[in-house]
Parts: sequence; C-alpha cells; structure tokens
Amino acid sequence: MPSPSFEQKLRRLARSHFEDRSRRRGLLVAFEGPDGSGKTTQRKLFKTWLKSDGYNVVTTKWNSSELIRPIIKSRKAIRVLSPLEFSLLHAADFRHRVENVVLPALWDGKLVIADRFLFTGLARDVARGLDFDQVLKLYQPLLWPDLVFYFSVSARTSRERIAATRTPTFYEAGQDITDIDEPTASYERFITRVIREYESLALIFRFITVDAEQSIHDQHQEIRRLFREGEQRPWSDWNLDAIVEWLAIRDAQA
Amino acid sequence: MARNTRRAGVTRNGSALISIDGVNAHALKNAARKVATANRRHRAGVSTWGASGIFDELTFADSEAGVPSMRTLLLLYAADLAFRLRWEIGPALDEGRLVIAAPYVATPIALGQAAGLDAQWLADIFHFAPPASEHHVIDPAPAKPLSQRQGFVEFAWRHLDTRLSGLTRLELMDRTRHHLRASAQRSRSSGASR
Repeated sequence: MPSPSFEQKLRRLARSHFEDRSRRRGLLVAFEGPDGSGKTTQRKLFKTWLKSDGYNVVTTKWNSSELIRPIIKSRKAIRVLSPLEFSLLHAADFRHRVENVVLPALWDGKLVIADRFLFTGLARDVARGLDFDQVLKLYQPLLWPDLVFYFSVSARTSRERIAATRTPTFYEAGQDITDIDEPTASYERFITRVIREYESLALIFRFITVDAEQSIHDQHQEIRRLFREGEQRPWSDWNLDAIVEWLAIRDAQA
Repeated sequence: MARNTRRAGVTRNGSALISIDGVNAHALKNAARKVATANRRHRAGVSTWGASGIFDELTFADSEAGVPSMRTLLLLYAADLAFRLRWEIGPALDEGRLVIAAPYVATPIALGQAAGLDAQWLADIFHFAPPASEHHVIDPAPAKPLSQRQGFVEFAWRHLDTRLSGLTRLELMDRTRHHLRASAQRSRSSGASR
C-alpha cells in the first residue's frame, strides 16, 4: 500500500518495535479444534491464569467482527450462503478483526488469545470442497500466531459433546453440503471431514496438539507448560507484510 | 466503448457474458442499457454490484462497528459477485441469455491496485469468476461526486474515507481509471477477457 521508501521505513519500525527486549512484546496464541473439543473452556482458564500472571489479555472469537458478523448472521439465518460466499465473508470478518482488534493489541504489547483463527476457515472451507491454496490466499497477508494449540478429539466425541447440549445449527452441521436432513447425523459426517483437514493443518503448520479427551485439569496444566516453553520464541519476520499494511492504514487515519 | 454493441460475443447456444467496467456509474449504466437494447433478441439482462444486499447492510452498520479497509471491502465485493454469479448471471447464461455484468471484476481489481494492493492477490480473490466473452472499459471520470449507491468506486471512497494512505477522491478515481485502461489494453492484446 505505501510507497517503497515509506514501506521500508514501516518495516524497520515494525522490526524494532517487536524485537525490543526491554518490554514484553505482543503475543498471539490461537486455540483451534472442532466444536465440542473444549477449547473455549480451556481458553477461559488460560486467560484467567495469564491475567493473574500480569498479562494484559485480549480475546477475539471467530466470526465476531461487529461490522461483518451481522451480514453473515442474517444470511446464515435464511440459509442462503454457498460455500464460496461463506468462505469470502468469513475471510472479510477475519481481516476486519485482524486490523481492528488483533494487530492494535499486539502493537500495544498485549497477549491476544484467538478462539479459532484462520485455520478454522481453512479446515471448514476445504471440508466444504474449496481448494486449499485458494482459501489460503483469501487470508493474505498472512498473520501467523506465535502458538497454536490444537484440541484434538475424535468425530464421535465431538458429536456426543455437541449433541448432549444442543442441536447443531444448519451450517455448523454442514447441512449445506451433506444433504443429510438430520442435523446430528450431518454434523458427524461434516466434522469428520473438518477434523481430517485440521489434522493435515496440524502437521503442516506445526500446531501444538493437546489431547482434548484428557481431563480439563490435565489439559490446562499441559497448556501452561507448553505456553511457558513457547512464549520465549523470538519475533519472526513472517508477519511483517500484515503489520506493515496495518501500520500504513493506521498512519493514514492519523 | 471500444467495440460496437451489436450481438457482442454471443456463443452458439446464444449465451454470453459481457463485462463493462469503469468508475463512472452513469456511463456504465448507459453502456449496459445500450448493449442490452442491441441484444434484445438474446433476452439480454444486466447484473450490477450490490445485488446481495451486503453493501446496504454495510451502509447502515453501527458507526462503532468501524469501517472496512480496502482489502476487507474487496472481499465483500467478491462475496457479492459470487452471489450475482449464482443467482443472476449463472442462471441467465444457462437459459441461453446474454448477461451484461456492469461492473464485473476489472473495476474492483483496478480499485485495489489504485490503493496499492498486490495485483496477484486481487486476481486470486476473483479466480472463481468466469471470463467474460467480451470486456469493455468505460473511461470517463464522473464530473462530480455521485451518490454512494451509484458506483462501487464512489461507494468505496465514501466508506474508506481517509484509510487510503491519503489519496483524495480524484486521485483514487484517476488511479483506478489508469489501471482499468491498462487492463483493457492487456485484454485487447491477449484476446482474453475478465
């Protein structure tokens, strides 16, 4: 977006900001996994623990942009979204949150917990039949979390945990693509595909896999330990493009 | 328009997709109407941006919800275009009709380029859009600001406001026109159309 010389200036600024060891740098931690994997419970426990440890924590949830979410919600309600429209709108929601919630918080040295991140979009969209590379491109410039916890459960466990509390919604159950009228049966078929995509993503992007069939307490202890190991990772240039673009927008606003 | 409007790009079964792009909404509308009239016997119809209602909802969003960046706005345009292809353009082509998409993909791509977005990314997000049989670019800039519902570039300008790295409205229009002219030139020389 900015001119080449201005872009270079922003790159230097971003590097020096995130590499400054005199202050706590912003960290992005993503919680990923199928519905019913218990990640929201773990996210809440993790947040409480971090706050007690002095971290300034910001949470962002999937499909929660105040600007885009109503657009998606109204279309989900009347079941008119094709897999492509579903994918594009969720990518727009994600981008709006990255620019308005995630990057400002990281810049301010906060710890951002993302309850689902772009990997949710990838897993669901590919499970709906879209091409992996094309979906990934929608999320560019990419913003990689410092840590991704993947809560691994079987399709059966996911189905049982969801069915115990509620009936899955039309899109949650993947009824737009399975042609199965019964929501729970559709859910199991769809979540099997989603989990398969998640397992591939976990390998490709080196997620930290948490056995979500363990007790809540054991999972939480494991997450604490893994976080302590992971938080020391140095800043990486991978996210520079996304940060520079956001800095240019911020600069224009100012 | 670069070429005549009579029976433009019609295929054997009578269906054809003609794209007309530009920043001037009035000129686009007039050109689309002309092509439709000239191709009445092909039951020509016009598909324009905003059919999905996404941008109406954006207009009435709570001011505290924030404004979209250019990238977010173009993802929304792509979602709107996917809707148009599914409900307007695709079914009409299946019926052997001629469809005029005004605007189609060249306008948002040129707008994104004007704002400094990567051309490859812009091409990638519209990969799903089938190429048009013919592609036309309407060049004149609007003499005065149009209402925001009259053109996508105008809409973008009003909704993005100062988030465009300090571009004025005229600069945005001029840069978009520049990229549109370049795209028209490329499609003329390659024979391809988008």
